[in-house]
Amino acid sequence: MSDDDIRIGVFVCHCGTNIGGVLDISELTEYSKTLPNVVYSADNLYTCSEVGLSEIRENIKEHDLNRVIVASCSPRTHEPLFRSTCQEAGLNPYLFEMVNIRDQDSWVHMKEPEKGTEKAKDLIRMGVYKAALLESLEKMQVGVIPSAIVIGGGIAGMNAALNLANQNFKVSLIEKDSELGGLLRHLNKVYPTNEDASIILETRNLVENHKKIDLYKSAVIEKIEGYVGNFKVIILQNKKTLEIEAGAIIVATGAKALSPEGYYNYNGKTIISQLELEGILKENKINTNNITMIQCVGCRNEERKYCSNICCMTALKNAILIKEQNPDANVNIIFRDIQTQGVTYEEYYRRAREMGILFIKYLPEKPPIIKKDRIEVYNEFMNQVIGIPYDLVVLSMPLIANEDSEQLAKMLKVPLEENNFFLEAHVKLRPVDFATDGIFVCGSAHWPADISESISQSNAAASRASTIISKEMLEVEGSTAEVNTDLCVGCEACIKICPYSAISKDEETDTVVVNKVVCKGCGVCGASCPHNAITIHHFTSDQIIAEIVTYGGGE
Amino acid sequence: MGENLKRVMVIGGGIAGIQASLDLAERGIVVELIEKNACIGGRMAQLDKTFPTNDCSICILAPKLAECFRHPNITLHTLSEIKNLSGQPGNFNVKIFKKARYVKEDECINCGVCIEKCPMRVDDEFDMKLRKRRAIYIDYVQGVPSIMTIDRENCLFFTKDACRICEKVCEREAIDFDQKDEEFELNVGSIIVATGYDIFEPTSLGSLGYGRYLNVVTALEFERLICASGPLGGHLKRPSDKNEPKKLAFINCVGSRDIKNNPYCSSCCCMYTTKEAMIAYEHDNEIETSIFYIDLRAAGKGFREYIQRGENDYAITYIKGKVAKILEDDQKNPLIFYEDINTSQVKQLKYDLVVLATPMVPKKDAGELAKILGIKIDDYNFFKANSYHPQKSSKEGIFLCGACREPMDIPTSVIDASGAAAKAAEIVMRG
Amino acid sequence: MVFEPKILGFLCNWCSYAGADLAGVSRIQYPTNVRVIRVMCSGRVDPVFIAEAFMNGIDGVLVLGCHLGDCHYINGNYEAELKMKMLSKTLSMINFSDRVRLDWVSAAEGARFAQIVSDFTEHIRKLGPSPVKNKKVKKEIIDNLNAVKFALCDTRLRALVARQRELTTDGNVYGEIIPTEEFEEILDNAIENEIIRHKILEKIKNKGKSVPDIAKEIEIEPHKVLRHIVTLRARGLVDVDQINEEIPTFISIKEV
Ligand SMILES: Cc1cc2nc3c(=O)[nH]c(=O)nc-3n(C[C@H](O)[C@H](O)[C@H](O)COP(=O)(O)OP(=O)(O)OC[C@H]3O[C@@H](n4cnc5c(N)ncnc54)[C@H](O)[C@@H]3O)c2cc1C
Ligand code: SF4
Ligand code: SF4
Ligand code: SF4
Ligand code: SF4
Ligand code: FES
Repeated sequence: MSDDDIRIGVFVCHCGTNIGGVLDISELTEYSKTLPNVVYSADNLYTCSEVGLSEIRENIKEHDLNRVIVASCSPRTHEPLFRSTCQEAGLNPYLFEMVNIRDQDSWVHMKEPEKGTEKAKDLIRMGVYKAALLESLEKMQVGVIPSAIVIGGGIAGMNAALNLANQNFKVSLIEKDSELGGLLRHLNKVYPTNEDASIILETRNLVENHKKIDLYKSAVIEKIEGYVGNFKVIILQNKKTLEIEAGAIIVATGAKALSPEGYYNYNGKTIISQLELEGILKENKINTNNITMIQCVGCRNEERKYCSNICCMTALKNAILIKEQNPDANVNIIFRDIQTQGVTYEEYYRRAREMGILFIKYLPEKPPIIKKDRIEVYNEFMNQVIGIPYDLVVLSMPLIANEDSEQLAKMLKVPLEENNFFLEAHVKLRPVDFATDGIFVCGSAHWPADISESISQSNAAASRASTIISKEMLEVEGSTAEVNTDLCVGCEACIKICPYSAISKDEETDTVVVNKVVCKGCGVCGASCPHNAITIHHFTSDQIIAEIVTYGGGE
Repeated sequence: MGENLKRVMVIGGGIAGIQASLDLAERGIVVELIEKNACIGGRMAQLDKTFPTNDCSICILAPKLAECFRHPNITLHTLSEIKNLSGQPGNFNVKIFKKARYVKEDECINCGVCIEKCPMRVDDEFDMKLRKRRAIYIDYVQGVPSIMTIDRENCLFFTKDACRICEKVCEREAIDFDQKDEEFELNVGSIIVATGYDIFEPTSLGSLGYGRYLNVVTALEFERLICASGPLGGHLKRPSDKNEPKKLAFINCVGSRDIKNNPYCSSCCCMYTTKEAMIAYEHDNEIETSIFYIDLRAAGKGFREYIQRGENDYAITYIKGKVAKILEDDQKNPLIFYEDINTSQVKQLKYDLVVLATPMVPKKDAGELAKILGIKIDDYNFFKANSYHPQKSSKEGIFLCGACREPMDIPTSVIDASGAAAKAAEIVMRG
Repeated sequence: MVFEPKILGFLCNWCSYAGADLAGVSRIQYPTNVRVIRVMCSGRVDPVFIAEAFMNGIDGVLVLGCHLGDCHYINGNYEAELKMKMLSKTLSMINFSDRVRLDWVSAAEGARFAQIVSDFTEHIRKLGPSPVKNKKVKKEIIDNLNAVKFALCDTRLRALVARQRELTTDGNVYGEIIPTEEFEEILDNAIENEIIRHKILEKIKNKGKSVPDIAKEIEIEPHKVLRHIVTLRARGLVDVDQINEEIPTFISIKEV
């Protein structure tokens, strides 16, 4: 397009007296007319009112405007409105540019109207120079496969699959084991209701019989390809390679208990782990009187700094169960802090105390020592070492990340945190999302979680996945990055820099390509490319430099 | 009848209600978002920074507010409450009561001219009454919808038939004293309750001196005191003499884990007192902080490491011990008396400012709302949730999320909210 | 007349631009000197933009982003920090580094935004107008800035900065992690070399010169000049012009 074709219209807003009371609007309007390519300029009392908007629409038509500038408030609040107004008048919304002369000018220079007006002139001029270089951009549409893949068939994975299936989506559930249920299969009763784990496991029947769920048991994931809306997972099942497609993936691979081997003279007989105790209780084979549990074994230390979240409640549960069966039993819990947040769990803790379970705090620098017939532990309260006789010591071991999580993370191209749990996009606002769109996480794969938390998160992950697979088409912003393959040398610097893994190598041409569906338009790659091969649409270097040059040059 | 409406009602526009609404709307389900206040945002809007990343609360919340306001599938009903419910899952009929705003929503452009001119000053609830607002106001500058509201209880026109200044100065002619309260009905397939929490008022705990001693404040007040957009512009000063405090104490479990008040644990105080101590230290590296606690509850992702950072990098001293009472010396410095765990002796420490971590309590009207909706509450008035499916209320088709069912932090609220959205979608999308 | 500095501000959309808007909503008054260019993320700011700003007579440049850890795009502001570090190393060689500042402003920090603008404006006012505007020294300054721009556009240097995080945290292809100090040293050298190379190119733009002559003109030891000439020849920017009495002269063969 040659310069002559560019027809810019500038609309300067009074915002009542908000801008008009400080800046000289008529001067700004007149000034705008003197700028290159500006063919029309006018002021409005309130540009965002219906009157103001229809003036924009009419003048686009009347003056054949192909660029529109509104000098008013903040694009953060008003750009969407003006963009859609332009669109209604047949103008590509990306040919609109906004200049902030209220929030960042008239309101902050109320006592310097002249300087404020000068500033507004500069800002409008910068806008005009940028506008001349704006390009129409199209929002791209990509199709979405309306189904989901859930990896992992524990309680979280099963529930996520079930929720989506109940919402009428097709779901493929991939489990590496020959059976569904995960860790829950090894448990006896579950807190806080102390009902049988098997009752919770009834979900299995619902999953196995659901028409909308395809089950792949004893299946190993070989490869994961694609991007949001269009994933392909290749699995190996009974020596056969299968290909499953889906629009979203939920990771629910859980975690495992740390082996007690090597901690506190563990021997598997008189000194056992909490998980082993579950097995004993399940078979009703407990017949000892003096039982002591030790918390935080192998965690909250230098090697594993974290608190595993579920061990306190687990210990409380088993202590209560033992005490219920045999009220005369001496049950002690040696702990550091009891983690029973909230209403129900705190109540559970209180119940344990009322039942006569004894709680003894220990300091990490003075951990308990297991002697032949007793446990010695330093007690702060009494400022002395006390001896506790025992028949059975139960070690509360933390949940740790699965060994294969690293491999899975690599295939999914998602990050792990330092303990090898999956790392979400944002702890607070996107707790079950990955930064990579279309992939979600729930349950202990994310962080040690109990049943209710896992179910809660699995619903959340299902909800997040449904926001993608419910759409026929995903609409993609036009202001994304694009690689100029003539300039790109395939150095791959940008691939590592993009926070969303939106860039990948095209082995054939030895250059890179941006996946527009994944790119969020942050522009970091553009500022980094050694060969200036990346254009950040709507924030191109040319546009920005044009603004700089005209600001610098205009005395 | 029998028809399944692809429409969900969300009650409460805090972070939980917002997240639930956005998820549903993005999923293609129409949302009616009912908010009692004039703006959405809830408690999170009042917080300065939030653990465990210490990012600025409003920075991460504001884009969500805007998205909620703009989303074509979400209708925002502010100043609104539920009056009645009938029907069954898949087709509920809800009666809404909407208070008049006295400002035309389409005309007001949030220029603030009216605020400047309004002569009536009232306690600002959003700023924990630490400063005054006018009778025409917006909860907070980034509030959404970003328009004014006239507070009928205080406006001079309504109380004394006088003034009407805002009407004269508003160039947009946005003021409309003739607006009337409205009642209308909405049909929805499912309902999500996300009404959040109130804060326990520690005035009843006489021994800690709250209300009597100016330099004893609650944690939520502290959030406002230290917030860049709060009453002090983020320059922490103590209320009595406006001096910069150098020694701060935070006391956990004030009125929680306490049989006489609230037996439950409020879930996030251990974390937020650590956060507040960190922020104070960031403002002024000479500040010394102590946190008095019973157990340090930090089981969430990265939380334990957070506490450790507090100790190592922010010089926070964690003192295990129950505070017995607080007195004040003649310079109005609070004196903390506490039982030292090591020696069982009562010790005394002097501070410049004391912050009380008071628990979340159910909304005052939670019982009433439960009655209208026909859902159960627990012993304390939190809405009762299913033990393993925590988003399920006692009634089919009605779901719970956020702090209205149990005290919880923002990450958990957001998970809960998305989860509730999935459960509601199950009802309205089932085959 | 008091000197009114021309200040350019790059603000990221999500935090600092929102903070600047908040200053407005709160009616906090600050100097009128800054003009803002909104970018989606501080990581979008290419150091070349800033060299460009100085060449066009702008007196000072502010780059503002979200606080570290708060970037809307996860780690764009860390990238911005690395880029600004290298920019400031480069600018310090020509005494310009005082005229850029990188800082963080959250969406709640209207007052902080106003404060930063006020402080920076005062700071630039004290420094005085950019020498680019001074007719007497203008040529030399422009040459220097051109050298800086040359360095900032240099593909190798850019590649080095683009890879910094990778090399200093994840390691290179062999998994070797380069300690940050060592990396900075490499970077310092690279910057210095690029600036010298540009000076050499400037000197032999229209006229072939011998190594000793160039060395004298830019006050650098001849063996170092020779090394740079070799590099420049390899890049195809320099060629032999003539050979006089066995001493070759070199000339620049490409517009840069
Ligand atoms: C001092 C303090 C510091 C904190 N710091 C942190 C922190 O750093 N990090 C963190 O993760 N968490 C923190 N929290 C916890 C955090 O505030 C909560 O997790 C979160 O705000 C809960 O969100 P919500 O949406 O459930 O409730 P709310 O934010 O209370 O929102 C409820 C909404 O519902 C509306 N509403 C109420 N009743 C009705 C009704 N009947 N009809 C219609 N609408 C209604 C309310 O007006 C409100 O808008 C802190 C809490 C406190 C007290
Ligand atoms: S467009 Fe912005 S500046 Fe203009 S009247 Fe509307 S709110 Fe005010
Ligand atoms: S950084 Fe530039 S040159 Fe290198 S691969 Fe990416 S686009 Fe190509
Ligand atoms: S603009 Fe940002 S998101 Fe898009 S490809 Fe570049 S770095 Fe990635
Ligand atoms: S009511 Fe009128 S004066 Fe008040 S903010 Fe709205 S538009 Fe401005
Ligand atoms: S979005 Fe603000 S610095 Fe990246």
